[in-house]
Amino acid sequence: MLGGKLKKSIPWWLLFTAIMSLMPLLISTRSIRILIFANFIAIFAMSWDILSGYTGYISFGHPFLIGVAGYTSAILTHQYSMPLYVSMPAAVLLTMVAGILFFFPALRTRGTYFALVTLAFMEVTYHLVEVVKPELTGGTRGLTGLPLLATGAVPNYYVSLFAMIVIAVSLWLLGKSGGGLVFSAIRMDEDAVKSAGLNTTKFKLFAFTLSALVAGIGGVLFTHYLGSISPRGMFDINFLFTILIAALIGGEHTIIGPILGAYFLTFLLEYSRPYIPGAWRYLFYGMIALIVYNYAPRGIFTIATIAGKWLGRKMTRRERYDQQAA
Amino acid sequence: MSDVIIQGFLISGLYALIAVGFTMIFSVGRVLNLAYGIYIMIGGYVYYSLSQALEISKVISLLGAMIAGVLFAVITYLGIVKRLRSNPIAVEISTLIWAVVMQAVIILIYSPAPRAIWPIVPGVAHVYGINMSWNIFFAMITSWVVLGALLFFVRKTLVGRAILAVSMDAKGALLSGINPEHINLLTWALSGALGALAGVFFATYTQLEPSMWVSPLITAVAVVIIGGIGSIVGSLVAAHLVGFMETITTSLIAPELRGVFTLLLIIAILVILPKGLLGQEET
Repeated sequence: MLGGKLKKSIPWWLLFTAIMSLMPLLISTRSIRILIFANFIAIFAMSWDILSGYTGYISFGHPFLIGVAGYTSAILTHQYSMPLYVSMPAAVLLTMVAGILFFFPALRTRGTYFALVTLAFMEVTYHLVEVVKPELTGGTRGLTGLPLLATGAVPNYYVSLFAMIVIAVSLWLLGKSGGGLVFSAIRMDEDAVKSAGLNTTKFKLFAFTLSALVAGIGGVLFTHYLGSISPRGMFDINFLFTILIAALIGGEHTIIGPILGAYFLTFLLEYSRPYIPGAWRYLFYGMIALIVYNYAPRGIFTIATIAGKWLGRKMTRRERYDQQAA
Repeated sequence: MSDVIIQGFLISGLYALIAVGFTMIFSVGRVLNLAYGIYIMIGGYVYYSLSQALEISKVISLLGAMIAGVLFAVITYLGIVKRLRSNPIAVEISTLIWAVVMQAVIILIYSPAPRAIWPIVPGVAHVYGINMSWNIFFAMITSWVVLGALLFFVRKTLVGRAILAVSMDAKGALLSGINPEHINLLTWALSGALGALAGVFFATYTQLEPSMWVSPLITAVAVVIIGGIGSIVGSLVAAHLVGFMETITTSLIAPELRGVFTLLLIIAILVILPKGLLGQEET
């Protein structure tokens, strides 16, 4: 089933999982909290990547999907006292339905318009949540005191890490499969894919619901990690910005890139805190993102892969030389 | 009822102004500028600084706001858009990031707190028992004058016709001795000026805050999608459609649902009439 290349990557995944699992032994609780946040941003960025990075339908509305998941579960547990094992799957399902809402504009428009419509989704939901039925959604202040999935930094860390790695491996495998190939082909030339006899609508629908599924899982876990939800924290352009930049800096269309981007961004965010005051930070990230996106549009991961291959080739050449000499 | 009609006309004029500045760039350069909302915001803040903090006369403040809009539009074009032009998606993402960066700059300068801005023309008129602020009336009249002047400029003057020519066929225009590069720059400058002017009105209509650029951008997008991209007349029609629909929703159903119907209309138009009411083919 797995090709040679994929088999070769198994040790890397295992190594990554092992290192990340040992982290709580090595670093402080404060850093663990940062890592949890990075894991969630990674999940959101991967969800963005499988839709926008692969098929080229740029979504500016991912906070909408994440928010639908978070709010559904928050309302079900807080207002109707449902247990988490009911509310969370229900919320993920509803998010997938919301993902199909995204899909209608994508039936007819390509690229440019689509992104703007998804942005409108986010903005409209923000205003709706604030004012429609505030007794249900908590209005501007949102809902607090939601049930937590796990207590303490370390258990929460493992929850987020487990979710992140399962999602990463699944999406990564999918990206390498025939389905991923069709997604990329849609990004390059949708008409060509159509004329090759493939039903692009079906593949697009699959990409949309899959992205929504991942966003939904991330959204419910994130909400029940924080224990609170508010419209300004969720349907916010800065939240979208963080997800988008994580995916872009890391390298879209790679799945692994967004994970790297999320870690890079989160740690930059945290460790620059003493040196760069709050308001300056978005300015800096924006500038970094603009420069990376413009001058290295394929992101850190691709640069690293190319560098790795180049080093690898050098090594084998030297080995060959050594063998010849011997 | 007459309340709805008057309010609808007042807000629609402003929406038309917002949308035309946005659609111009698409029709000439074939890119969507997500930083357009920034010119609206900068227009509002510059006007606020000049007229309220420095107490300069309102006309000069208005001109200052428009100059700032032109400046930022030209910076956006030369600094970011020009080299990415062949890739519309890259333009979209880059201009969005640029917009967030500029929002951060505004927060740094003015703090995130919302600010009230005084109306340009104070006072309230009573027409048929309806309260109508002179400010929004002034905004509507100015919008119409500016839009009329713009239509005249594009259709009757040589430079305007050059803009039209580039929007129809850039290569053909080049062969006729028009430099599309200059035309592009001119269009961006015009768009910045229109955006900043609309921004001053928009800010006096609502309030100044660093996230105020998103909602007019969405309005512009809605108007442009409904009217058809690149069509000035289409934008005028669609601006009234959106403006009236919002007014009717606000006064008859619930003010909160205003955006929802617009969004539904966008989706319906996209599915039924992807080119918009009066638009060109999307390329």
